[in-house]
Amino acid sequence: MAAEKSSIKIITLIAADGSVFEVEPNIVKEMKTVQSYIDELDQNTVSIPLPNVFGNDLAMIIEYCKKHASEEETKEAKEEFDFEFVKRMKSDDKLRLLQAASYLNMESFLQFMAKAIAAEIENQSVEFVRDYFQIESDFTPEEEAELRKENEWAFK
Amino acid sequence: MKRERHEHNNHIENEEENNNNDIISDLPDSVLLHILSFLKTKDAVKTCILSTRWKNLWKHLSILTLYSSHFKTLRDFFKFVSRILFLRDDSTAIHTLDLHRRGIIEPHLLKKIIKYAVSHNVQQLEIDVGCDIQHFPTCLFSCQTLTSLHLYVRHRISGQRTLFPNSLNLPSLTNLSLDSFAFPIENDGRANPFSAMKRLNNLIIDDCIVLDAQKLCISSDRLTDLTIQTTFERCFCEIELSTPSLCTFDFIGIPYQKLRGSHLSSIKQVNFDANIMENPTKPPSVLLSWLLELTGIKSLRVTSTTLQVLSLVPNLLKVEFPSLCNLKSLKVKRKEISYELSKSLLDANFAKLPTGASYTDVVKLWETFSEGSSSIPDGIVDFLLQNSPSAEVDIIN
Repeated sequence: MAAEKSSIKIITLIAADGSVFEVEPNIVKEMKTVQSYIDELDQNTVSIPLPNVFGNDLAMIIEYCKKHASEEETKEAKEEFDFEFVKRMKSDDKLRLLQAASYLNMESFLQFMAKAIAAEIENQSVEFVRDYFQIESDFTPEEEAELRKENEWAFK
Repeated sequence: MKRERHEHNNHIENEEENNNNDIISDLPDSVLLHILSFLKTKDAVKTCILSTRWKNLWKHLSILTLYSSHFKTLRDFFKFVSRILFLRDDSTAIHTLDLHRRGIIEPHLLKKIIKYAVSHNVQQLEIDVGCDIQHFPTCLFSCQTLTSLHLYVRHRISGQRTLFPNSLNLPSLTNLSLDSFAFPIENDGRANPFSAMKRLNNLIIDDCIVLDAQKLCISSDRLTDLTIQTTFERCFCEIELSTPSLCTFDFIGIPYQKLRGSHLSSIKQVNFDANIMENPTKPPSVLLSWLLELTGIKSLRVTSTTLQVLSLVPNLLKVEFPSLCNLKSLKVKRKEISYELSKSLLDANFAKLPTGASYTDVVKLWETFSEGSSSIPDGIVDFLLQNSPSAEVDIIN
């Protein structure tokens, strides 16, 4: 199996909006969801539909993977890239990328996005976090007051 | 306790249908817990009132970050810690626990936290507290699951160091970082605190001493990275390395100790950031002797001040220097000269000025060696590279 797998030269990823990305196998190594497709097929070129990821997001994820898969880049250059990568994203970009990372089952990218999101909600009020995540509370005001009281030791 | 959720395989369509923007709550627990892990635990617990989905999530956190500075009063902090340990899901292991209480921590609370962590298979512990070492439960020092330990036990008396416990049995430990400890000496007059840690890879010793300023012996077959940081001269008189796998050696502080060992050539990467005391008790040739001992260096990173310390060796450029034959890379990072170093440099260089030196010469000398300058001594880079002229040189500003 190993020999057959290594014969794959180009992998085509098709995003939810139909946009197409051709990448080398080492770029998708971290995407376990894609890997499980590849393991099932043994053709020279593989085309994989990713109906839960939009093209713009997939383009960013591939950019990230390319940078991190590169052996020529120094650790410092990768850190600098990560910093800029997060800086240019809006809040909902981060949430969508986290969702994509979860769907693609990418461990280190998921960690990276979780950390970026945590940095935005650190030291913020519950109201801010609720708004940030666009969570609609299903507690009645009474229930919420009760919960706050129960957990008042965390709100000091 | 995992909540049942619908699998949203066609999530995009759903979003269009019911205009639900709450994508976060549809993600699996493990993903949400990732986010909570990066928060201080106080903020993580607060997410319990976001919605039902989040109510009990924090209880499954395996990374706890407990800092007293996150609380208004000490009482609030102690209560918080007790509630966390009481309410969290007991079947979830503790992966990492960070406990910071710079002032005195109540012994019974410390015991409770450590015992809880050890009984929940803790792997990484970072503890920075003020207390007596006797207040630590002994189970910490025989924890079978611990892979990484950072320990800073602040002594009640400022400037005093905590005696390092003698009998440690930490079979899984790979990373150890110690701050402000005093290592006891054994019958042979040496301190040898790490010999029982068979898997140790990475060791950081920060501002530690050996009792009676005796020899510090580091023997470890698997150690690959060693960092020693000192703040004064007589913390120990000699470093004896019995570390055949050691590859990286970082030293930050005042080079004073003899460096000995049977496998010093295994060290390939060396980082030095040297300084000196105001009135050094020893001539500054120690640093030079280290470079002569470390024959295997491929990559050397030094601060410009380290090179200034080296330049204090009398007639350095004429010293026979058969070392650094395998050097591939020399990096010099510019760093401002400290007050103490400036004093020694000015004394030494003024003494070298010929009688009748011009005013301009004096001003130039003053500018080169005064506090805050980050000059690199003339000729020293060529001196270091004499046996490896093809090595890459990088000056980092």
